[in-house]
Amino acid sequence: MDGIHDMGGMHGFGAVPRGEHEEAVFHQPWEGRIFAIAFVVESIVPGANVDAGRHAIERIDPAAYLAASYYERWLRSVESLITDAGVCSDEDIDLRVAALRTKAADV
Amino acid sequence: MAGHNHNKPESEAALRVKAIEQLLAEKGLVDPAALDVMVDLYENRVGPRNGAAVVARAWSDEAFKVRLLDDATAAIADVGYSGIQGEDMVVVENTPEVHNVVVCTLCSCYPWPVLGLPPVWYKSFAYRSRVVREPRAVLAEFDLVIPDETEIRVWDSSAEIRYLVLPRRPADSDGLDEEALAALVTRDGMIGVAAV
Amino acid sequence: MGAFPPEAVEAVVFGGSTARRPADGMTPRFAVGDGVVARNIQPAGHTRLPRYARGKPGVVARVQGVFVFPDSNAMGEGEAPQYLYAVRFEARALWGLDAGPRDALYLDLWDSYLDPL
Repeated sequence: MDGIHDMGGMHGFGAVPRGEHEEAVFHQPWEGRIFAIAFVVESIVPGANVDAGRHAIERIDPAAYLAASYYERWLRSVESLITDAGVCSDEDIDLRVAALRTKAADV
Repeated sequence: MAGHNHNKPESEAALRVKAIEQLLAEKGLVDPAALDVMVDLYENRVGPRNGAAVVARAWSDEAFKVRLLDDATAAIADVGYSGIQGEDMVVVENTPEVHNVVVCTLCSCYPWPVLGLPPVWYKSFAYRSRVVREPRAVLAEFDLVIPDETEIRVWDSSAEIRYLVLPRRPADSDGLDEEALAALVTRDGMIGVAAV
Repeated sequence: MGAFPPEAVEAVVFGGSTARRPADGMTPRFAVGDGVVARNIQPAGHTRLPRYARGKPGVVARVQGVFVFPDSNAMGEGEAPQYLYAVRFEARALWGLDAGPRDALYLDLWDSYLDPL
């Protein structure tokens, strides 16, 4: 698709962000978790594979794609792959997030 | 102090990932212990020291270098490295006439078995969009100036072929053993944004 | 489906899962040195042919072998493997006269992305 992800040659993105030279592989633990989950999901969920995983990222709304961090895009990809396959629904995920948030607030 | 919570509130992303992990585990689709192993492998076992060992061997052993340029996957496996996102490797050699640099404009494809996971800058919109169009300007931001007479080849990783740059051996490295040579090789040199 | 057990992870990570497939009687349409032009296709689904290369002329630099075709595989239409080629595009053909006269860009492109020049 001629989406926002197809950015070779685009103007306007500015300087390459050099950041720390030696940086952590995963900046937050959740990044490592979603990295590993994405691999498993792409391997075993019906309809999922590495190409479908990439296409799920490409289908993110363009403004959201640009605003999201790299692993946030993977998170959205995993959500698409598992909801498209009927493994669970967006509502299932939202309910569980709400439950986790309540539990964290109680601590 | 009992009940004192030292933890910051978790981000939305962290909560969503935790929710998904729990839901998938409850359905028997993921084993959290398997996820632990995977995270540990990429944090601690797989990284650019692997690629540096390959480069150092190529600099030390001409026959290996020939094999590496002819069948990179097999040669790299000989050194002991293989795996996902590196099943089909091509090594491209820097020479006095040619400088190579690798990118994935469409996402972030990168040769994991020899370099580990890509740095934030490689995955950035600025690198993905600009290095294909203006490689000299991007390399200059990395303090690497390539003469006009040198041909720059940008490799856009659009398929499952993964590219590794074989940097030029530094001029003052005669007599160094493989281990010492490997210590000279940087991740950035094997992507092509540094000389070595 | 079932979860990967922890003991299986290393073998999967280091064994990999190549997208290369047997040629199965297919022969490549193009050889190293052939002039090609990237088709002006505009798929609504997944593709790995970037916009910047469409309609542009290049030269086949490597015949990479037969690989799973992402345009099909991503959409649940099967692996549909095809020959894959590394194609060299002169920088000026892609980016105009601001590009270095000697510089080039290489893309890995499947058979169905290409026409002969």
